[in-house]
Order: sequence, then C-alpha cells, then structure tokens
Amino acid sequence: MNRSPNLKLFIALSVAFVLLWTIVPFFWMLWASFMHESELTEGIVQGIDDPTLDNYKRIFGFADKEAIFGGQTKLIANGFLNSLLVALPTAIISTVVATLAGYAFGRFQFPAKTGLLFGLLLTRVLPPVAILIPYFTMFRTIGLVGDPGGLILTYLTGIIPLLSWVLMGYFATLPIEVERAARIDGCSRLKVLWHVIIPMATPGISAAFIIAFLFAWNELLFAIILVGGTQWQTLSPALLAISPLTAVGYSPIALFSAASALSIIPPLILALIFQRYITQLNIVDPVTIRE
Amino acid sequence: MIAFRRKSGGLTDPQFALAIVIGVLLFHVVIIIVPLFYSFWLSLHETNVILRSSDYVGFDLWGEVLFEEETQTATLKSLYFAAISVVFSLVISLGMALVLNQEFPFRGVLRALILLPWAVSEVVTATMWTVMLEPSWGFFNGVLAPLGIVDEGNVWLNRDWALFWLSVAFSWHLAPLGTFFFLAALQTIPKDLYNAARIDRAGVISRFYYVTLPHIRYAVLIVLVVVTVEAFRQFDLVFAMTSGGPGTTTQILPLLIFRYNFQFSQYGLASSASFILIIIATILAVAYFVLMTKRSPSKRIVKSVKMPEMAE
Repeated sequence: MNRSPNLKLFIALSVAFVLLWTIVPFFWMLWASFMHESELTEGIVQGIDDPTLDNYKRIFGFADKEAIFGGQTKLIANGFLNSLLVALPTAIISTVVATLAGYAFGRFQFPAKTGLLFGLLLTRVLPPVAILIPYFTMFRTIGLVGDPGGLILTYLTGIIPLLSWVLMGYFATLPIEVERAARIDGCSRLKVLWHVIIPMATPGISAAFIIAFLFAWNELLFAIILVGGTQWQTLSPALLAISPLTAVGYSPIALFSAASALSIIPPLILALIFQRYITQLNIVDPVTIRE
Repeated sequence: MIAFRRKSGGLTDPQFALAIVIGVLLFHVVIIIVPLFYSFWLSLHETNVILRSSDYVGFDLWGEVLFEEETQTATLKSLYFAAISVVFSLVISLGMALVLNQEFPFRGVLRALILLPWAVSEVVTATMWTVMLEPSWGFFNGVLAPLGIVDEGNVWLNRDWALFWLSVAFSWHLAPLGTFFFLAALQTIPKDLYNAARIDRAGVISRFYYVTLPHIRYAVLIVLVVVTVEAFRQFDLVFAMTSGGPGTTTQILPLLIFRYNFQFSQYGLASSASFILIIIATILAVAYFVLMTKRSPSKRIVKSVKMPEMAE
C-alpha cells in the first residue's frame, strides 16, 4: 500500500470518530452506574470520588437501602429470568419454522411464490401498535394476558417473517450439488435438510437464532401490554418501571444506569458472536437469486 | 434451482415447498389477519367505556382521523422522524462502512464493536442518550457548557429539537445494521477497479461515484427501505425517551394510537388511525417489493455479490 501520510491521517481520524460515536454513549452510561446518585446529579463529567458498586448490589438485593424503594429493583432481577424464559423459546421455535420456510422459499419454485413472498413481507411492515388492541382482546378472552405464552406467540409472529426472508436469501446461495447428490442417493427431502443443508447452513441459522433472541429480549410494547406489572414482566418493561424518564415520583438515574448496563450483557455477547456470521448472510439481494 | 420431479415421500418438490409455506402462512393468517379484521370492525364502531357500548358509525371515525388536527400532526411527525432517521442512518452507516473497508490495525475489533449499538434495546438506547442529553448533569452540557458553546443547563430535548434528537438516537441504534449491508456490498468490488481508476488519475470523489456507488446501489436501496419501515414502526424508543413530550411535540403516530387505546379507551379511533399507519406501511412494502424483485441493472453485479460470501 503506497499511501500518502495525509491519507493515513485521514483514515486514522475517521477510525477514531467511528469508535467514539459508537462507544461514548456506552461509556457514560457505565460511568453513571458507578456513581452515587448525589454525585451524579452534580454533573457526570467529573472523576468519581468514591466509585461504588451499590447500584449493582441493590439490583441483586444485597444493599441495605433496598427498603426505601419497596423492592422495586427486584423487578430487574426477576425481569432477567422472565426475559430469558421468553426469549429462548421464541428464538428456538422461530428459527426452526423460519429454517423450513426459508428453505422452501430459497430452493424451490412453486405456484404463487411471488404472492406468498409478498404476504410474508407484508406482515413484516405491519406496525406492532396497529394490532395491539385485537391481540389484547383476543388474549384476554383465551386467558393469555399476563402469561408468557401469549408473549412468545406474539413475538413469533413478529420475527418469523424476517427470519424466513433472511434465510431464504441464505439458502439460495448454498451450493446445490451436494444436496442433489444426496437426493439421487435416495435421501428423503427432510433427511437432506437435516443431514446436508442444516450442517452447511449453520452460520446463517445461528445468525437467525441471534436475531430472534435479541428481538424478544429487547421488545417493549407488547411486553408492557401483555405482561407489564405482572410477575411475568420481562426486562424492558421492568427497566421502564424504574426509569426516571417515565416513572412517577423519585427514581434514581444511577440505579437505572446500572440496571440498563446489566440488561445489555446477553445482547452484547450475542452481537459479538453474530458479527462473524452476518457478513455471510445474503440480505443484500435475496429475491433476484432465483436462477 | 432443484428440478426434481421424481416422487419422494409422495410429494413433488413444488408440493413439498408449498406445503411448508402454506403451513407457515396459515399460522400468520390466524395470528395477523384475524386481528386485523377485528381491528377493522373496531374502526367502524364508536366505543363508550362508561356505558360499555359500541355503536356502528360506519367510516365516521376514519374521517375523523383523516381530518382531525391531532392525527394529521402525528402523521407529519412520523414522516419527519422517518425522513431525518433515513438521512442520518444512511450517512452514518455508509460512512462507517467506508471507514471499516479501509485497512488499519485492529479492524476486526472495530467491526465487532460497531455492531453493539444495534444489539442493545431501544429502552437502553433511550437511557444512554438521556445520559448524554440531560440538561442539568448530562454529558453534552458537561463538556460544552464550560467551553461556552452552549448555555449552562441547555435543554436539548426542547419543543423544537426533541424529535431531531430522537432521530439521532434511533440512527445510532439502527445504523450498524446498514453498515454491515454496505460492508458486504463493498467487499465485492474488485480491487483492480480502484487501481485502474487511480492510473486514470481519478480523484477520491470520482472513484466513489464511478466505482463504489454502482456496486452498492442495491445496498443503498435496502438500507433506505429498512430504515423507513423501522422508523414508521418505531414505538419503544420514543416511548422510553420522551413518551411523546415535551407536550405532544414528539407524539408520532404509533404513540398517538397507543394513547387513544390506553389513555382514552378510544378503540375505534385508535383502530382507524392504525389503518392509516398500515396503509403507509403497505405502500412502503409494495415499493420495497417492486424494487427488490426488479432485476438489478447488471446481473454481473448481483452475481458478484454472493460469490465471495460463499467462498468464506
């Protein structure tokens, strides 16, 4: 590479800018989470005189001050468990269904394919808030309000179209020869899928699983409506419940920062795994790869 | 495409595929179309919570929604939010992709890092940006006020700029996804093209315009549509960060619908407003689909997009 010093400097500056843009908000949230509330309200841009783990301790119920907040922070620890109980089944079921659908869409020609694809896509652009009341009413009738099952069902409808779309593009890019050979050797279609396609498609399927998990872990709107305030409350509504932005009355931002910081640990780990796979997903142009 | 016509398990290949697809779609019909019809029914009925009655009023509520100032304003705010978010997300994601496509030490680490904002939830995004923007102790004022750039206690989320800052936070959260789309496209551009352009003494700008842009045109389109759709669907971030305030200045359409539902129990009005949102979203989806299925200008480019990915 024969680069002029000027170009090198420019690239270095751009890299620094990208880095700052990405991590500065993370940094200050973490910074706030180690401060005492009284110190924080004087200004966040200062050294921490007396860094504390109190905010984190309180979330796990190890601090004396807990009584003041009426066990509010227990919601966070509880929300962690509930989010896991909702996100895992959502991710598993939607990945299985979307793998089948994506395989069917990506590999085969069949009547009305374009129309059916469009139907799939349309469900993706549907604003969640638009079907809120019908869902709420329906679920209340069959007793799924306040039940994690209802929430999982809702998330499945939200995420399966997207995953199918992504996996469709991915399956279309996989080499077809191995599959064809297996079929000629007498493997059934599902056997081919299980023994040939899925091992080949592991990166794409893992990525799909992570997308689904993140979606269910992060979602707020349906979680508020369906399980908000119940014992099944997931992490996002639990965070909002102690948020100084929306909560009624006094609510400490340092504690809220600590809770938020804890809540992003699973997503961050998954994102780091995910970024190895995402470049292999052909989200760029799934439809035109038909021939 | 597989073209087996041989029978296996009693089904031909198209039948097999169709069976799966119809299964998946049936699930969706039950869980989406049925609620939509119910929502449509609601939109034709005026509900009275106190009397627990609902009277058929035809399309009156639709008219009310279309001509009421409140809903018109909310729709405009949604459009504004989407427009700003699209511009920001596009610029940020393309900029980051161009930087990450250069060679520099620890590039892999930075590539992993920039995806993180996408992984955190909207609620946490709201937390982080509140820490940045909070007037009395937030980061921006903490740095800028001592330098005299802004006044002490400058309110960033004021009536005029709150929606703008929401778009910034939203773009911070969403742009990394676009970056990865762009990176995938950028990696397909043969290095020779740049070398040839350099030999022809093409400057940075003309190299971008004549070499880079044609190869990433498709990715640009997809990022545009993804961001637009997400911006129109967005509820979580705005609800967590401003809840529509100050006043109603950041009350975009999904928030208004939420308030109609849960604050005023105006289910009919909420459902009618939902259909406006659905119609906007559908128009976008149709545009999306038409653009996606249209053959891209050069097939060679499309082919080259997927080849390196298979090679990895």
